[in-house]
Amino acid sequence: MTAEGQRRRAFWQILLFAAGLLVLTVISAGSVYLVNKAREDSKWVVHTIEAENQINALLLEIRRAESTARGYLLTQRSDFKADHDKAIAAIVPALDRLTRLIGDNPQQRKSIEKLSSVIETRLGQFAQEMDFIRQGQPEKAAGLVRELASADTTAAIAEVATGMLQEEERLFRLRTANSDRSQTLAASMTGIGSGLVVVLALISIWLVRRSTRERDAAEARLRDANLNLEAVVDERTADLREANDEIQRFAYIVSHDLRSPLVNIMGFTSELEELGGDIFRRIGSLAHAPADGAPLAPAAPGEIALEGADKQLHEDFSEALGFIKSSIAKMDRLISAILNLTREGRREFQPVKVDTRELIEAIVTTLAHQAAEAQAEIHVEPLPDLVSDRLALEQIFSNLIDNAIKYLKPGVPGEIRIRGRTKLGYAIFEVSDNGRGIDPKDHQRIFDLFRRAGTQDKPGQGIGLAHVRALVRRLGGTMSVSSELNTGSTFTITLPIAWNVSNRNRDR
Amino acid sequence: MTQPVTIIMVEDDEGHARLIERNIRRSGVNNEIVSFTTGTDAMRHLFGADGSGLVQKGNALLILLDLNLPDMTGIDILKQIKENKYLKASPVVVLTTTDDSQEIKRCYELGCNVYITKPVNYENFANAIRQLGLFFSVIQVPPAAT
Repeated sequence: MTAEGQRRRAFWQILLFAAGLLVLTVISAGSVYLVNKAREDSKWVVHTIEAENQINALLLEIRRAESTARGYLLTQRSDFKADHDKAIAAIVPALDRLTRLIGDNPQQRKSIEKLSSVIETRLGQFAQEMDFIRQGQPEKAAGLVRELASADTTAAIAEVATGMLQEEERLFRLRTANSDRSQTLAASMTGIGSGLVVVLALISIWLVRRSTRERDAAEARLRDANLNLEAVVDERTADLREANDEIQRFAYIVSHDLRSPLVNIMGFTSELEELGGDIFRRIGSLAHAPADGAPLAPAAPGEIALEGADKQLHEDFSEALGFIKSSIAKMDRLISAILNLTREGRREFQPVKVDTRELIEAIVTTLAHQAAEAQAEIHVEPLPDLVSDRLALEQIFSNLIDNAIKYLKPGVPGEIRIRGRTKLGYAIFEVSDNGRGIDPKDHQRIFDLFRRAGTQDKPGQGIGLAHVRALVRRLGGTMSVSSELNTGSTFTITLPIAWNVSNRNRDR
Repeated sequence: MTQPVTIIMVEDDEGHARLIERNIRRSGVNNEIVSFTTGTDAMRHLFGADGSGLVQKGNALLILLDLNLPDMTGIDILKQIKENKYLKASPVVVLTTTDDSQEIKRCYELGCNVYITKPVNYENFANAIRQLGLFFSVIQVPPAAT
């Protein structure tokens, strides 16, 4: 699974979540808005109805005033008069209420102004009629009524009122429609929003299921890969081990078989040397023979008295044999070294608990003589204990300390220090000195077999460090050197604190 | 040696064989030395054409054996000598370059009488062979058959 894919999926999930949240917010806000709007619309509808009612109520009061005035005119009974007064008293407040109610509508306000003036005229006429009746002139009042009927004030009132009613009717229809629309909108908005949320939820579920499936698949692949990797590692390890064993066997056989001819070379060289001695002694005795030919007593063995060219011949012969013999000796040492190394490589390691400090102090004791000769002081600091192969550890540290003593600067008192600490299951040892040091370009070379660095003034085969590194590796550790010329060297060895056979010799 | 003991030398390296012979002679041993450079030749001589070992009946033998032979290992020869009723009483000296402790142990288990590692240093080599020669000059060897 790629990181790109993971990022994309995370992006989509966040996007979906955000979209869902947005939709919910919009629905909520929209609903609140639309519900408010619907309430507003309803209020206006109610308002319209109220206005209509008020107009009707006003008209009713005017009709009542009219009919009671007529009744009073005809009968002159005081209860008609009382009713008329009541009706007249109700007209003005009703008109005021109506004015208040429809104050929001400019068109209606104009109508109401007209209506107010007509009603005022009519109220004035009522007052005149009542005055005539009170003064006992009913004929005059009746005449006024007739005159008024022809003037048609009442009709004018009715006309204006009808116009107003029609206007209110129109408003009512409009507002009802508005209200209906708001409610429909609110309902559809909620419906669509819910649908959207459900769709988003479904997409989310699908995405989650898909990613779960992908994760399961990836886990399965990872498991397979791990198993495969282990198998591959095991295989490679077995291959390497086989190759290593092969090299060990090869080195053993080669060094063994090289020895056989070497024995011959050495043997016959020695024979030749003896033979040479005999020949030159014979030459010497012949050269010293007196002229009369009587042989002298042969020269004593071991001393050869030669002169001139004969002496030169003998010296050349001896020199040649000397080179041959020293080369053979060197070759023999090298072969022995390889044999020892392979023998070491074949030795089975036994992990035991090792008191490192005690082990190193024992080494220091055995090297005390060399150290005293080199004027070197060896300091052993507290060291961590190990579970490891004791003999291998002895060889590692005695090689390093021996080297440290061997390669001190002449004339400078040596100071060799062995330090130790632990880190993450590993013990780290440092063997440092103030000796002649190693040129950084030789740091790799000194670990190679038969290779040495610096002035070749000390005996050695160039085996120690190669051997030490091979041992450290077999013990599951690493080693390194840090050094500058003339400032001393520090060899660092990292070994597992608890080494066991299984982590190295498993397949052996 | 009191009886005419024949020394059988099985050594694939002719140079080694010559050096050994020379140093044995230097220690004053004058017995007949029969040397073979391959295991097959040695086996034919020791066990005869029929492989029974009857041919050596009545002969006193001392066998010098190298382990690293081109055609077979000296251990096989040692094993067959010690299993043969005519030859098993003959002393066998293993003289070889191998100093592997397993190998040495195995040879003694199979009945080898002396095991000597050839020193590479010639002085030591010559010395060892001369001492072996001195040993040969005093050793009692029974005849091969009873």
